[in-house]
Amino acid sequence: MKIKKLLGLTLALTLFAGLAAGCGNKNEGAATDNSGANGGGNAPATAKAEEIYFLNFKPEIAEVYEKIAKDYEAETGVKVKVVTAAAGTYETTLKSEIAKSEAPTIFQINGPVGYQNWKDYSLNLKDTKLYSYLSDQSLAVTSEGGVYGIPYVVEGYGIIYNDAIMKKYFALADKAVSVSSMEEVKNFDTLKAVVEDMTAKKDQLGIKGVFASTSLAAGEQWRWQTHLANMPLYYEFKDNTEYDNTVLAGLASNEVEFKYNQNFKNIFDLYINNSVTKGGLLGSKSVTDSMAEFALGQAAMVQNGNWAWSQINEVDGNVVKAEDIKFLPIYTGVSGEESQGLAIGTENYLAINSKVSPEKQQASIAFLEWLFSSDKGKAYVTNDLGFIAPFNTFNDNEKPADPLAKEVTNWMEKDGITSVAWTFAAFPSEEFKNVFGDALLQYAQGNKTWDEVVTIFKDTWKAERAK
Amino acid sequence: MQKTRGRDAVLFVVLLVLAVLFLSPILIVLMNSFKGKFFISDTPFYFPDGQTFIGFKNYTEGVAKTGFFNAFGMSLFITVCSVAVIVLLTAMTAWYITRVKSTFTRLLYYIFVFSMIVPFQMVMFTMTKTANILHLDNPLGIILIYLGFGAGLSVFLFSGFVKSIPLEIEEADLIDGCNPVQSFFRVVLPILKPIAITVAILNVMWIWNDYLLPLLVIGTEYRTIPIAVQYLKGGYGSIDMGAMMAMLVLAILPIIIFYLLCQKYIIEGVVAGAVKG
Amino acid sequence: MSGGIFLTKSIKKYFALFALPTILVFTVIFIIPFLLGVYLSFTEFTTVTDAKWIGFGNYVKAFSNKDFLNALWFTLQFTVVAVITVNVFAFLLALMLTRGKKGTNLFRTIFFMPNLIGGIVLGYIWQLILNGVLMKFEVTLTVSAKYGFWGLIILMNWQLIGYMMIIYIAGIQNVSKDVIEAAKIDGCTRFGILRNVTIPLVMPSITICLFLTLSNSFKLFDQNLALTAGAPSKETSMLALDIYNTFYGSVGYEGVGQAKAVVFFVLVALIALIQLAATRRREVEN
Repeated sequence: MKIKKLLGLTLALTLFAGLAAGCGNKNEGAATDNSGANGGGNAPATAKAEEIYFLNFKPEIAEVYEKIAKDYEAETGVKVKVVTAAAGTYETTLKSEIAKSEAPTIFQINGPVGYQNWKDYSLNLKDTKLYSYLSDQSLAVTSEGGVYGIPYVVEGYGIIYNDAIMKKYFALADKAVSVSSMEEVKNFDTLKAVVEDMTAKKDQLGIKGVFASTSLAAGEQWRWQTHLANMPLYYEFKDNTEYDNTVLAGLASNEVEFKYNQNFKNIFDLYINNSVTKGGLLGSKSVTDSMAEFALGQAAMVQNGNWAWSQINEVDGNVVKAEDIKFLPIYTGVSGEESQGLAIGTENYLAINSKVSPEKQQASIAFLEWLFSSDKGKAYVTNDLGFIAPFNTFNDNEKPADPLAKEVTNWMEKDGITSVAWTFAAFPSEEFKNVFGDALLQYAQGNKTWDEVVTIFKDTWKAERAK
Repeated sequence: MQKTRGRDAVLFVVLLVLAVLFLSPILIVLMNSFKGKFFISDTPFYFPDGQTFIGFKNYTEGVAKTGFFNAFGMSLFITVCSVAVIVLLTAMTAWYITRVKSTFTRLLYYIFVFSMIVPFQMVMFTMTKTANILHLDNPLGIILIYLGFGAGLSVFLFSGFVKSIPLEIEEADLIDGCNPVQSFFRVVLPILKPIAITVAILNVMWIWNDYLLPLLVIGTEYRTIPIAVQYLKGGYGSIDMGAMMAMLVLAILPIIIFYLLCQKYIIEGVVAGAVKG
Repeated sequence: MSGGIFLTKSIKKYFALFALPTILVFTVIFIIPFLLGVYLSFTEFTTVTDAKWIGFGNYVKAFSNKDFLNALWFTLQFTVVAVITVNVFAFLLALMLTRGKKGTNLFRTIFFMPNLIGGIVLGYIWQLILNGVLMKFEVTLTVSAKYGFWGLIILMNWQLIGYMMIIYIAGIQNVSKDVIEAAKIDGCTRFGILRNVTIPLVMPSITICLFLTLSNSFKLFDQNLALTAGAPSKETSMLALDIYNTFYGSVGYEGVGQAKAVVFFVLVALIALIQLAATRRREVEN
């Protein structure tokens, strides 16, 4: 009897162990990895992390990172696991990933707000070569003498226009405006006059609308709830003379007035009233759609940043020539905006997870240093990722050659022009942006008044800041 | 007679119209999968023409973008293994708790039944955490997770069936000198075959299409088909409608093939499962 | 009977083989997370291990949350409309397909097929089609919650009608021809037969279908996520989606999410209890 009982138990255990062992196999690599890491003290100094984990923020270039990771593994034997969060979900993905046993070793914070959320996980990078590579070390996210976030890309956005269409318009005999080139468009009133006259003559110009669709589908709203919302808040925080930096002023604001909301409305109305697409249909439009409209010559202007070049370029039947693609600052009718430039800055800071083993931390830093200083890495950054990288390891001939990146550099160097700082790093949360984006959609569709949108903006800011 | 025939004809036409209506959504997606990505959301009901037709480009691009075949392999692996494990282990468990009558087994039975009514959201967060701590957040571990979640319905269905098997068959076997293990695999399991098919079909339908559980447990690293489809939205910066259409077609195709092959079992299984559940 | 005991005795020793693996996994994957979930709904936590007891605070927050109340109301409305439409259409189809006419099998095959397609895929199929139709009126699904609502109803009908139809067909085929013949001889009209003979006899099928549609509609998640994702402004979020968003959408609201989940569970359990009671009563009547 006893034997039978034992037999039953053994069988059960074998069965279960079989299952368990099955799952164990997959982890073996990771487990060895861990022991190597934890045993760092005893093991010889050559102990090296075999795998690092990069949680990528930019879905549009996820494929490039995969390629880089493969190349890096071939060169150094260190596996780089790249995981990309879907648009608008980075914070939540990071939150769930970092709690896991195999947490990201390299992650991204969006500036001082991000640092506040993740300070327990951010390693001090002050003594790294990566930090020493920065052309302007004041760009880094710092706190009490420590360096916790390294910016890796400088970007600019504004209104991208197709100069070929604009020239065609300015050549029209019956145009209703006095200006005759885009260089003369220096404020909102002029822009508005030009745009509205163009809409009236859109058949002559062969376009469907002046502006490409204001994409308001879920996950496709960031050009408005983040980038455009930057404009009024930049001016509001600039008025706060206690701070010399709009981001810091924003961080200190538990409430906002949304003082320049009419300016936001000015330009937003202009976008949706002179659009390729009717207001009620904007809820199904994506960024890809609107970049395609621009590339196919259906629209003359589109608000986006220099990263959009590849999206324009890859559209089949693209009719826009590289030399015709230009940037115009986003004018909203604020006084003195003649001297306003593009919105230039970064929301992309790399941070290293301080809770993983020292070996993994070192391996992660080594990867980033390779990416931003080796010839191979730099070639990826410039040609494939298309980054304007703020590191002194890049020579002038290693800057991206695409027309929009060049335009960003041009605008930065213009005399008497002040770039708009990326103030949205001070926005309270992703949730805030998403709620505001939804309200904008409702406004565009005509089911919310502008006053309601303003109230939602202010209330959500307050509520999200209070969290 | 004339009147009946007329009525039959009307009935047939009504059904035919309904059948076309039922199939049309799938056909519309199929049609759009051959159109360029910018011609889909604006004009979904037009056939592809010279300007909009792009052949299989959406398929090649979509497959490359989403890693569809990996996702297909992942879905297939998880579904087949989980269903096999669920059917075998819950059949054994159900037999045991039905045949061994004690307070403990009765309690177990009720807990299994109880688990059927608990919505996934109730345990979503805590289960994901547990799975991570126990290193079950990989394609093999998820098989055990499916066993845990599938156990309720499967044990319930098997138990109901075991109750209807006369004890004499098993007893005769035991008296012949077989031990219960041999007896289970030689006698009981073959008898359980019809209900095992039902259990398998219901679990295949659930696991193959499941989105949230695999997303939370293994979704950042491994994609099943539903995760790959959902990831097309937002996962690449902006949605590509062409790739989306192609992926929808590729996601539906295996299901239709499976359905046409096992139609009889599926319909019977669903009815049996529903009537007992 | 003594034989039964003999059987019980000889199997009992094999507990470790037959029952233990499932029970162990079930405990770890379901029972512990379930109990932990109930406990955590009374605490504030971000990672399970750092929970602080706060009593009913999370429940108060959940019920003062506009999104949650809206989701609750939306889900209730949706469930009522979906249950009625799906069952009426499914029953009518079942009647049409039980008259033994040619092509019946083919039609049954077609009507059942959508049921096998997963929720995410279904959602995107219908998003394309509904937006395409609404395009003619220069609006999209996100313009108003009522478009999302009816969109979900249409989707749900497409998915579930075939399933329920199959169950109704099984029920109707169980009604013996003799009973119907007898009713005909008694001079019953077609409608009279339907009302007085068929419907009472397929009552078990009706109960099953009602509760299947009820729980499927109430717990809907994938279709909701893919079709509208709550747009506009979370107005079309159903309970399951709202709970998901509370957990994973904003940091610091895990406790509230868990409390919402417990409320959700209690509601689903109530529906199930009513079903059980209904089934019991039916069994007694028979």
